[in-house]
Amino acid sequence: MLLLQLLVSGIETGALYALTAAGFALIFGATRIFHFAHGATYALAGYAFVLASRLGLAWPLGGLLALAVAVGFGLFLEAAVYRPIQRHHGAFFTVFVAAFGVVIVVQSLIELSFGRAFVAISTPLTRAHEILPGLYIAQVFWVALAIAIVIFALLGSFLARARAGIGLRALSENPDLLRAFGLSARRLSALAFALGSALAVPGAVLGAATTGLSPGVGAHVMLISLAASVVGGIGSLRGAALAGLLLGVVETLVVAFLDTQWSEAAGFVVLFVFILFRPSGLFGAAVAR
Amino acid sequence: MIAYLLNLAQLAAIFGLLSVSLNILIGYGGIFSVAHAVFFGLGAYAGAHVALDLAPDILLAALAAALTAGVLSALLALPALRVRGEYFVIASLGLQMLATTVFTEASDITGGLGGLVGIPPPTVFGVSLADPLAFLLVCLGFLALALAVVRLLMRASFGRALMALRDSESAAEALGKNVPLLKTLAVLLGGAFAGVAGALFAFQEAFVNVESFTLDQSVLIMAMVIIGGAGTLAGPLLGTVLLLALPAALTFIPGLPPTDIGAVQQLIYGLAMTVLMIFRPAGLAGRLAGRR
Repeated sequence: MLLLQLLVSGIETGALYALTAAGFALIFGATRIFHFAHGATYALAGYAFVLASRLGLAWPLGGLLALAVAVGFGLFLEAAVYRPIQRHHGAFFTVFVAAFGVVIVVQSLIELSFGRAFVAISTPLTRAHEILPGLYIAQVFWVALAIAIVIFALLGSFLARARAGIGLRALSENPDLLRAFGLSARRLSALAFALGSALAVPGAVLGAATTGLSPGVGAHVMLISLAASVVGGIGSLRGAALAGLLLGVVETLVVAFLDTQWSEAAGFVVLFVFILFRPSGLFGAAVAR
Repeated sequence: MIAYLLNLAQLAAIFGLLSVSLNILIGYGGIFSVAHAVFFGLGAYAGAHVALDLAPDILLAALAAALTAGVLSALLALPALRVRGEYFVIASLGLQMLATTVFTEASDITGGLGGLVGIPPPTVFGVSLADPLAFLLVCLGFLALALAVVRLLMRASFGRALMALRDSESAAEALGKNVPLLKTLAVLLGGAFAGVAGALFAFQEAFVNVESFTLDQSVLIMAMVIIGGAGTLAGPLLGTVLLLALPAALTFIPGLPPTDIGAVQQLIYGLAMTVLMIFRPAGLAGRLAGRR
């Protein structure tokens, strides 16, 4: 029963990881920018939600605020950091260092304004109910699951049918042809950042309500998103989502066998093995070399 | 005050050595590792064990540290040979996270979170280096040695081949350069020097624990190299001095609570990293603006 219990909470964590990692994969897939600061977006959205609830705003307003902060921050980074670097043909490492700098800045700003300790929001959603003898499930599990399924369905049909969605998929393949069809590469890349950043919001908001947030959460989420994108196959949305779910489950199940210290490390063992033996990931066609 | 300055100078020499060693990977080899604190840590634990279990001889400790870190740097060479670019950065991030956990959990060897305490003051050939000035001179000696090795190697065929590989791996391969060997040697050399820095650090602090070898430390070392100017001889040293002087300088700002100094320091160097990458990606000492 312990295993089943852990599996349930693993799926809950994994569903949220999946959304966040899908945001990262969406941005990379469309713009070829390795958005290392995606975790900073997550942290800012989470703390915006915390701030809203401290100010006494109702949760839908808090959610909207988090969404606005995430999208605004993503667009800001695209315009102020990534685009200037790409204009002078910066190498990927230049992008990486700049984005890492952003992660550090956001982390220290949060530390200065909210303190170093964990912050969390208490909600009745996290109260666990006994479903089966010995198996406790909180409502937040169903919420996380439902949100993930609905968003992935919407995202899938948007990318498959909508003109802008198809444009997003075309952007990385042939920007010139895109221009010939009257679409703006610049606008589409802004759209990718807006959408991708928005995908970090559910994880951030529910994260604030369940496990709590600390200033270092951005770095943690960044690592998870990276790991999920590699394991799933870089640029593959489906792969990142599946791998995010997988990582969440692995991370939680490990607790049944080893010390909790190892739970984060377990994800990185999976990552390391994939990079060494199957760098193209589960669904990736691209080769790393 | 003199003691404080000597302590700061020792740290500058040790971290200077550390950033010079990372520069071999990042600056000359184009191997963008964010796991350098791992090898710093391996060297520190090895050096501490030599001092605690055998003899506090600094040369012996440095040798053991260089061997340990050098041999285990194969862990980094392996992904470096298989993948590059973003994939390698991610692999090294993964290695760093794993190592932090191992350092914390393998408490028989590393002392876990409590660390290894009571490392005796170093000696060299039986002569005590308990005097801070003497220890500083030894640290500077190691730094000078590393600088001499880097300068010599980078002018020799090894360095030229390595830099060719950094600029275009396929071109270097086409010219018949042994790419795997070059990469492995660069990683090994960088790892070994980082190990030596670790051993010196263990003596300097008389105490080591996992907190000095986390991702934050790796990023700090990387920032030293990048902000100073990767691929130059003086750049990493400049970056080291700037980033080490920063917290010291911040303590003189009136009205800044001491508990916030850490965060403000991070804020400043994070900002410096981002802004430099946008306007001057080659770093402060770098000549080639916007190198690809």
